[in-house]
Amino acid sequence: MLVSDSAMAIRGLHKTIGRKKIIKDLNFDIRPGEVYGFIGPNGAGKTTTIRMMVGLIGITSGDVVIKGNSIKKNYKKAISEVGAIVENPEMYPFMTGKQNLKHFARMTRGITDARIDEVIRLVGLENAIQTKVGKYSLGMRQRLGIAQALLHSPSVLILDEPTNGLDPAGIREIRRYIRKLAVEDNVSVIVSSHLLSEIELMCDRIGVIKNGELIAVRDLHEKTDSEQSIVSLDVHPRDEAIEILNTAQHIKVLESDDQLKIQINRNDVPGLVTTLVQKDIQVYGVTVIQSTLEDQFLEMIGENVIG
Amino acid sequence: MGNIFSLVRNELGKIYVMKSTWAMYVFLVALVLFSFIMNTVTDSVDSETTYTDDWRTELQEENQTLTEEIETAGEDDPFVESTNMGIIQQNTYMLENDIRPYGYHAGNFVLDNLFTTSLVSLFVIIIAGGIVANEFRWGTIKQLLIRPISRGTILLSKYIALLLFTLFTVVFLLATSAIVGAIVYGAPVVNPEIIVNRPDGMASNALLPEIFMQYGFRVLNIVVLATFGFMISSIFRSSALAIGLSMFLMFIGTTVAQAMARYEWAKYILFANTDLSVYFSSYGPIREEMTIGFSVAVIAVYMVVFIITAWTIFIKRDVA
Repeated sequence: MLVSDSAMAIRGLHKTIGRKKIIKDLNFDIRPGEVYGFIGPNGAGKTTTIRMMVGLIGITSGDVVIKGNSIKKNYKKAISEVGAIVENPEMYPFMTGKQNLKHFARMTRGITDARIDEVIRLVGLENAIQTKVGKYSLGMRQRLGIAQALLHSPSVLILDEPTNGLDPAGIREIRRYIRKLAVEDNVSVIVSSHLLSEIELMCDRIGVIKNGELIAVRDLHEKTDSEQSIVSLDVHPRDEAIEILNTAQHIKVLESDDQLKIQINRNDVPGLVTTLVQKDIQVYGVTVIQSTLEDQFLEMIGENVIG
Repeated sequence: MGNIFSLVRNELGKIYVMKSTWAMYVFLVALVLFSFIMNTVTDSVDSETTYTDDWRTELQEENQTLTEEIETAGEDDPFVESTNMGIIQQNTYMLENDIRPYGYHAGNFVLDNLFTTSLVSLFVIIIAGGIVANEFRWGTIKQLLIRPISRGTILLSKYIALLLFTLFTVVFLLATSAIVGAIVYGAPVVNPEIIVNRPDGMASNALLPEIFMQYGFRVLNIVVLATFGFMISSIFRSSALAIGLSMFLMFIGTTVAQAMARYEWAKYILFANTDLSVYFSSYGPIREEMTIGFSVAVIAVYMVVFIITAWTIFIKRDVA
């Protein structure tokens, strides 16, 4: 992909601290309006990479180009396009949410009071905005962090572990407005996490980082066609069903305690059910229990060794 | 640089939103009141004596009384002699130079309260020590640095805010002293001539320039300490270290410089130079060859070194 076409282009990025190579030759692109999941175990280099993206730490070699501007050579222009939460959504605990937002709004030109109110509404903090941030729950601080990052309407939003400390409802809500930003406002969003399951549903693509190297990039929209899933079948009689699966469909039964677990392409599920019914097998339930992506991910990252 | 004003406003906002800052101002008022109470309790100032338009006769009569007192006390009480001789000399100077006395008034109280600026030093050191280090402690430094503003400008805005805080606080202290002084001692005229002690003996100066000069020297002293604390705060990201070191220097700096006075190099010690008021009092500098120009140059060199060190480290550092 051309540097000029991407919202953010990472080219040959290295970070060495002392003798330790923390980041080794990262290359990837974030497209306009896509949600990119940056996945890896703790210590893999996610936060280090994010710090380089926003200029908090020096780049040993390589570059980060945001909307055509290098973070190294043209810092102010590059960073103007970025809103970010790095590591934790840290705000001034002795000021209210509103005072915090006003503080950061003053650091960029042209942010109106109306815009401040708009982002407060977007993240749903209207009722808590006059409360001191020291009294906020982690979920509320996470929302305030996102509000702060959105103040100047950036074209790239970087959220480091945005689901940390959130309950399932909170994660669902964050997912909802991240999708909204990407789809409606064409904002590119980079979300990092060490848990695939928490961000899988909001991402268009994921990049997997391990020991400072990008080891896989996967487009999640291709999943439905080619990905295998584990499906659990509640059928009667079981032995006949297993017979049919093995001989007629050439599907291996992985487990057969109460229910049958099989690995199958998602698209083949309706056909399989029809076959079973035609052969007089009573089908009580069909459940897709796991995408194999999670398994592949765990397999891919294996054990992360820092150093 | 266009929005440096907004940045300074942010920094001042963070200082003044803290309750601890307002507590500092309460302490300053308390200290001024304490100074008045001590004056009253110890009877150390003569706030009774006042003068009319016939002040020349009154001064002469006063001198006569004081001379008689010395004679009565004789050699039993040498303290009376030294105190009274001081007043007689001052009265004589006023008569000779045609300077009208007003008794003890608000202006004298403000000048006597010069010592209260030590508390301002302490407060400014506390603010200076935290102004950069606290951002690291709170983790907000990351939010502060990912804006379209250079790190140098961020640091500059913090330094300007620190200087403004110093200025506001000293002005507040001055105003408090002046108001309390005017209420309890009165202010007969705004800008009377007053008697001051200079290296070559007694002299007179108008009240307001004298106040601005004396308080100005103190402000310079505070700013030097503040700059030092600011540098330590930026380098080590630790407010405790910055506050501790600055206070240590505030307390022992001058003493060490004086103890080393017999060595020629002692004149290059920062704290041998930070109090410019010695050039306008009978104390004088720690070494004879020192001049006010020399001291200003030494201070300037140290300040530039402090600022460049803080700046270089702040703009290059990896913020983890």
